[in-house]
Amino acid sequence: MRALGRPSTTIPLLLSLILIPLTLGMTFWWTPEDIDQGLSQKIFYLHVPIALASYAAFGYGAVCAALYLWKRTDDWDLRSYVGVHSGTIFGTLVLLTGPIWAKASWGVWWNWGDKQLNVFLILFLYYCAYFMLRFSLDEGERRRAASAVFVLLGVGLIPLSFLAVRIAETLIHPSVFTTTGAAMPSSFLLTFLVGLAGMLSLMALLMAIELRGKRAALRVLELQRRARGEDA
Amino acid sequence: MDAPAVSLSACSKRFGDRLALRKATLTVAPGETIVLLGPNGAGKSTLLRLVAGLLRPTAGSAQIGNAEACSAPRSLRAGLAYAGHRAQLYRGLTARENLGLHARLHRLTDLDIDAALDGVGLADRADERIDGFSRGMLQRLALARAIAHAPGLLLLDEPASGLDAAGRLLLDGVLMDGLGQRTQLIASHDHELPARLGVRTVHLAGGRLA
Amino acid sequence: MIRPALAIARVKLVLELRRREVLFAMLLFIAATIVIVHFALSGAGAGGERAAAGMLWAAVVFTAVLGLLRTFAAESEDGALDALLLAPIDRAAIWFGAALAQLGFLIVVEVIAVPVWWLLFFQHGGPRILPLVGALVLADVGIALVGTLAAALALGARTRDVLLPVLVLPLLIPLVLAGVTATYGAFGEESDVLRPLGFLALYDLVFAALAWGTSEHLLGD
Repeated sequence: MRALGRPSTTIPLLLSLILIPLTLGMTFWWTPEDIDQGLSQKIFYLHVPIALASYAAFGYGAVCAALYLWKRTDDWDLRSYVGVHSGTIFGTLVLLTGPIWAKASWGVWWNWGDKQLNVFLILFLYYCAYFMLRFSLDEGERRRAASAVFVLLGVGLIPLSFLAVRIAETLIHPSVFTTTGAAMPSSFLLTFLVGLAGMLSLMALLMAIELRGKRAALRVLELQRRARGEDA
Repeated sequence: MDAPAVSLSACSKRFGDRLALRKATLTVAPGETIVLLGPNGAGKSTLLRLVAGLLRPTAGSAQIGNAEACSAPRSLRAGLAYAGHRAQLYRGLTARENLGLHARLHRLTDLDIDAALDGVGLADRADERIDGFSRGMLQRLALARAIAHAPGLLLLDEPASGLDAAGRLLLDGVLMDGLGQRTQLIASHDHELPARLGVRTVHLAGGRLA
Repeated sequence: MIRPALAIARVKLVLELRRREVLFAMLLFIAATIVIVHFALSGAGAGGERAAAGMLWAAVVFTAVLGLLRTFAAESEDGALDALLLAPIDRAAIWFGAALAQLGFLIVVEVIAVPVWWLLFFQHGGPRILPLVGALVLADVGIALVGTLAAALALGARTRDVLLPVLVLPLLIPLVLAGVTATYGAFGEESDVLRPLGFLALYDLVFAALAWGTSEHLLGD
């Protein structure tokens, strides 16, 4: 288990400490104010990177799930769990910042016409179900395999949700909102990219800390069992 | 030399917080019959289910032939039979239909179901749904199913439970016939069984092989 | 793969004919759901056709979940699942056989319920039949595949019956979206029914492939 290496916390911590304040600074003092949406558009630099970071975490969770089914090493199960867990924490932030933006821009808390937000809602429900599945099964081989299979279904669900929402929108929501104008000034893009890097670092930090914690908990359990003379 | 029919090496199985089998190491030669003795909860069923490939070891390995039991290829599984505590039958089907399904899944085109049922004394109940069967009758049907595809490895978990005197004789007959013909691993509470069969005994207690 | 799956599906259909555990419940449930959703929406005066389409799809999905709760019931009762796992067949065949049986139940329920729905809501006109039937059949395949997969995952869980709907419903949201879109299209408001129908076929293929690929790990320990 420990052969897989200890994830670093120092590097993501340093990067987060630099990049996230930098993003905020760039957001408020460098990027020009959006002509249509004004100040409220600034949440874009927070909201969208968080969403992308949580997709990255879900992706990581799926890759680790596949590796678990292939290798059957417990650590891949832990990593997959940590990926989904962190992704869901960030997902909660997306579902909180989304309505703030929606309220400021469109005057409603939830805009059912927003494709991205709707897809995110589907995925959020799906990943919440993951935790319910995981905690309804007893710790063991069966639970790890079932969790991994369920996470892998997301590989199909994510693109299919985007596609379904896109197909449905012309009929169900005739009015389509577009959030990005035709041409983004370069300051927009750069701030966005810095924000994205910052959120990815924060995500990496979160996952590294949780993975360490989970491994430590497992190690404690292992030692307790050994003390009882039960080493398997 | 042939690969052992069954080989467990430092095989452990944990259910939640309970360690059902602890580092069991056991080798069974092809054609050998072994009786597993031990009190309830000793780990006999877990051991048999690991060998059957229904459970995946928490640590160590459980092999049949040269393959891990839980991922054994179909050709190996075709030569395996396991009858456990539960009858593993469809309650809503008749005895004949249950055996018919077994034959279809095992691709036994020439299985004589009447003869198989007759062999365990169920010929006259062949077309009854088994929800009405007693424990002993279910056990007989499970036995008929277990030997229907002429397995090379037979795993039986307390096969005598629920059987009447005639049923026990029948079971002994099946086990005798199998001596030297196939590998047999039998979990039992019957301490005279090893002597009757003249075979090796393995004792299990608290998840450990003695 | 196909032959053992058919054998398993046949057993499940025979059991249903003898015990009548699921089909009647599903029929009563779909009727009740349509009525409840209708009354729930009636005050809102939601535009007739669209509301009717929504009712149908909501009712179909919830009814399917009801049926799925019993998917592996006969196998759990007396450990028959062990016998299937021990048999020299692909584990995918067990899942596929159960999905075929589930598909059969859904189709039987819809053959009865959809005409009734039609009579209740469309005295004149109504959606074009071919796209509607196409959407329902493609969706049934998807529901059966994904639902059986989720039922297999929930099998060892303590809270199996509560867990299953929670697992299945999020996975079915894209399918319902496309189904409803196809049904709207079938009213002739928009001529484009091919895209949602194509999506449903794609959905079926994607989840069939995922289930196939993971089937060794789906059932058993």
